Amino acid sequence: MSPDGNQGSGLGAFTGTSVKRVEDHRLLVGEGRYVADVVPDGCLHAAFVRSPFPHARITGIDTADAKRLPGVVTVVTGAEIEALTNPILPFLALPGLYTPLYHCLSSERVRFVGDPVAIVVASSRAIAEDAVELVDVTYEPLPGIGTLDAALDTASEPIWPKAKGNLLYDHTNDHGDVDAVFADADHVFTETFRCPRQSNQPMETRGILVEFSADGEITVRAATQAPHMLRWQLAAYARKESAAQAVKAFATNTERRTAFVDAAKSFFAERGEALQASDNTAMQTQMKTDPRTALQMMRTGAQLLGRDDYPHVTADDIGGGFGAKGSVAREEIAVAAVAFALGRSVSWIEDRMENLMDGGQAREEEMTLSIACDADGTIRGLDVDLVLDQGAYPGNPIGAPITVRIMEVMQPGAYRFEAFRQRSRIVTTNKGKYVAYRGPWANETWARERMVNVVARRLGISQTEIRRKNMYGDEDFPATMLTGPSLDVTCSVRKTLERAEELADLPGLDALRADAAARGKRLGIGFASYHEAAPGPPDYWESVNPGTSALLDQPATASVDTDGKIKIWTSQMPHGQSHETTYAQLAADQLGVGIDDIELVYGHTSRAPFDLLGTGGSRGGPVGGGAVRKVGRGLRAAVVAKAADMLEANVDDISIVDGNIHVAGVPARGLGYADLAARVVADGETVEGKDGTYAFNVEDTYTSAGDGGWSVATHVCWVEVDIETGLVDIPRYLVVEDCGPIINPAIVDGQARGGVAQGIGAVLYERAAYDDDANLQASTYMDYLIPTATEVPRIEVEHMETLSPGENDHRGVGEGGMIGAPAAITNAIEDALDVTVNEQYLPPTRILELAGVIEPD
Amino acid sequence: MSDTMNETHVALGGDTTISCTVNGQAVSVEVPVRTSLSDMLRSALELTGTHLGCEHGVCGACTIVLDGAAVRSCLMLAVQADGTEIRTIEGLATDGTWHPIQQAMHDHHGFQCAFCSPGFMMTAVAMLEDDPNRTEAEIREELGGNLCRCTGYESIIDGVLGAIAEMRDGDGGVA
Repeated sequence: MSPDGNQGSGLGAFTGTSVKRVEDHRLLVGEGRYVADVVPDGCLHAAFVRSPFPHARITGIDTADAKRLPGVVTVVTGAEIEALTNPILPFLALPGLYTPLYHCLSSERVRFVGDPVAIVVASSRAIAEDAVELVDVTYEPLPGIGTLDAALDTASEPIWPKAKGNLLYDHTNDHGDVDAVFADADHVFTETFRCPRQSNQPMETRGILVEFSADGEITVRAATQAPHMLRWQLAAYARKESAAQAVKAFATNTERRTAFVDAAKSFFAERGEALQASDNTAMQTQMKTDPRTALQMMRTGAQLLGRDDYPHVTADDIGGGFGAKGSVAREEIAVAAVAFALGRSVSWIEDRMENLMDGGQAREEEMTLSIACDADGTIRGLDVDLVLDQGAYPGNPIGAPITVRIMEVMQPGAYRFEAFRQRSRIVTTNKGKYVAYRGPWANETWARERMVNVVARRLGISQTEIRRKNMYGDEDFPATMLTGPSLDVTCSVRKTLERAEELADLPGLDALRADAAARGKRLGIGFASYHEAAPGPPDYWESVNPGTSALLDQPATASVDTDGKIKIWTSQMPHGQSHETTYAQLAADQLGVGIDDIELVYGHTSRAPFDLLGTGGSRGGPVGGGAVRKVGRGLRAAVVAKAADMLEANVDDISIVDGNIHVAGVPARGLGYADLAARVVADGETVEGKDGTYAFNVEDTYTSAGDGGWSVATHVCWVEVDIETGLVDIPRYLVVEDCGPIINPAIVDGQARGGVAQGIGAVLYERAAYDDDANLQASTYMDYLIPTATEVPRIEVEHMETLSPGENDHRGVGEGGMIGAPAAITNAIEDALDVTVNEQYLPPTRILELAGVIEPD
Repeated sequence: MSDTMNETHVALGGDTTISCTVNGQAVSVEVPVRTSLSDMLRSALELTGTHLGCEHGVCGACTIVLDGAAVRSCLMLAVQADGTEIRTIEGLATDGTWHPIQQAMHDHHGFQCAFCSPGFMMTAVAMLEDDPNRTEAEIREELGGNLCRCTGYESIIDGVLGAIAEMRDGDGGVA
């Protein structure tokens, strides 16, 4: 019996219960192992020289003084690192999009405050930071592009000269006859919504350790959401071989060549259809705008194929990521390149100022929405003009391009629009890079749910009535969104709205308003609803970006060691989501054992099954968890078959309870997993798997083709606005969510509440602020305000658990809190102040301006 | 690292020797004079449970208990800790038995990535040792100097309330 009572008693005992976290046993006693906690003997430390200017030419760089400082091992400039590294290539690009080729350090031009121009490696971090101060860089400032208007101005200084301007992408799609619907409707309402830059801000900054063992073996330890992606990118970019060398290496390495051909064959056999659908015009665009792209692709590809001894990447505990650590950092490539060149261990642990400059920013979008509707409140047409500011450098690998595609596909929400048009533009500015941040596309929900409320106010109907009237419901399914994805019963948005209305006690609202008014405050209520693809129906990714779904499958393995220990192997990379607990719940239920009998293997790329994207996109439950269930089922079948053989019984009569594998009704004659494993060994039936020999080893891959479904919620926020101080209090917050059957309610609640807290931060506190010339204004936690325990209220979470027709019913819940919250909060503030709210960021001064207490700036 | 007469001595090639008590153990450490207390704990004493989130005194991840008070170890120089009594997350459990705050955080699913958890728990310990009779509003105020990016704080507050109940009447407060 485990100290937590986490002992199994058969199928289904754990799934659906708030099993206490396995992870806590190390994390709560200070024995977690984060990247900064590992410092091998003789390890060197890196620090970066960064641009203080938003935009400038580098006319000189002098490292002599820095190199002379005792303890400094090397200083490598942007120009020098080009001899050690390959430029970073476009990934997940769009047709017509300009994506630059760029190196991990900048050499001729800097493009944002914090742009790294040199790396210093020294015997301690303090000495490395001292030496950073001694590197003398001469800059010739260029005009900084700090606003969307400046970026859209064709006369502005191009940040990437080959792009011939700062507008990198401009594309319009019509879904249905938009002009006809707009001409026919009774009303057209239009508003522009602006969201400033936010930042993911995990409490642990980024970090990497390149470790050389005594015999020269290299292991890269990093705070990464995607270890395999980092491993591939370091193999591609952190070393530089000539194309001839690389091709020769590939040609002479028969084993490597055969393995590659076999792997490619099976990859294409499994995913041929999806890949055929992929649109190659995106790559053609890249190559046309910069012919070096094609050359670099071939060279890097040959280099990747030529070797099979890339350093492995590993990660143990990670202090949050929220999407930012799904990026491969330029700094990681620089640290690895220099460590490889030195042949010595090097660690880089980012500080918070660096993280606020270059650790990832998100969500700076301006969206003009027009809704065509009839006088009775039927909404009919939607026209959206989106401009997204991706900052100076593209996100790698996930950034603006995939985000604008998801934003378009999800923009109509669960409403029955007749026609929809979206123009999407991506601009570049002199700001930190745009990365995925928890529900990267969330501003489609924010802008749509704001606009739905604007329409309701103008038509004089309630915000709940307009939603109920226009949302898809069970009677409509199966249906298809205008943008392509199909909708089934799992798109239960309207049900969550109706449940939220019941719980919200709307008849009592007038009394609440009067009570607040008596205290000199204005009370408002805001609703917001959304559905998200977690994992989404099988046709979802083909609507977003054809071919992408091939990247999104996740493999898993279930094995039993020769001594009976059960292991589940996942390609997910936990960084706070409690995978060790939830996957153990899923597996323990299938295998009839306790939580503590399952070991989850993850992180190290020599052991974690291959998957480029790791953890992200609310895929842990549906896709990673789907794979665990699949291999758990497979392992159970294998175990039962062997046990039936040993016990001379029919497989249908075998039962497993508390790890006792027995013929139903005769537990006294049962076998343990160790007994079974010993028999497998004795019978010579062991199998080879990753990292060793196993009694049983079942590998499989979960694909979302054939099932899936939507994860949905309605959020309700009550605010009390103090129009003397401009402060906004949240006396009540309600989430009614439906992510299907829940694996662990406490963990789902934690995900929902954490997401809402980030949404509260986005609206009331957080802004990655730049001035109009792109000078960074928020480089410490005194300027970038993360909400604390005094600002975040208790959040009620109500669960609905709609079953899906699919194979794996657990749907994703990681991002939803952040998707719904900004809309619900801003809708509530609009309701309280009775004015139209056009911004997502509403600090006290802006509240007072909206309330008419002070004059706008 | 060498242990003599129950005192652990660590030399990091420094120019200053600091003597203090850490988790009940007398230690003397030679460090460069500019070393922060957090770096001394993490590097010289290998107590990596104390985490660095911002290194400018806002996030609270590096909070330790020094002479009974919750202190940000990133804002203090190691030399300032000479002669003090320090407790870190590694010293909370006794003989393998969790401190009530650890047990309560576990029972209430207090943390997710848990990078902030040592700072929260050390802040809570100092607060409860000062005065265990705390309302939720007081707890929120006291913990308002610690940032968590994962949980939305509710589970952490419930953990502290649970620890209070446990310390008061042996009832962990888990429904």
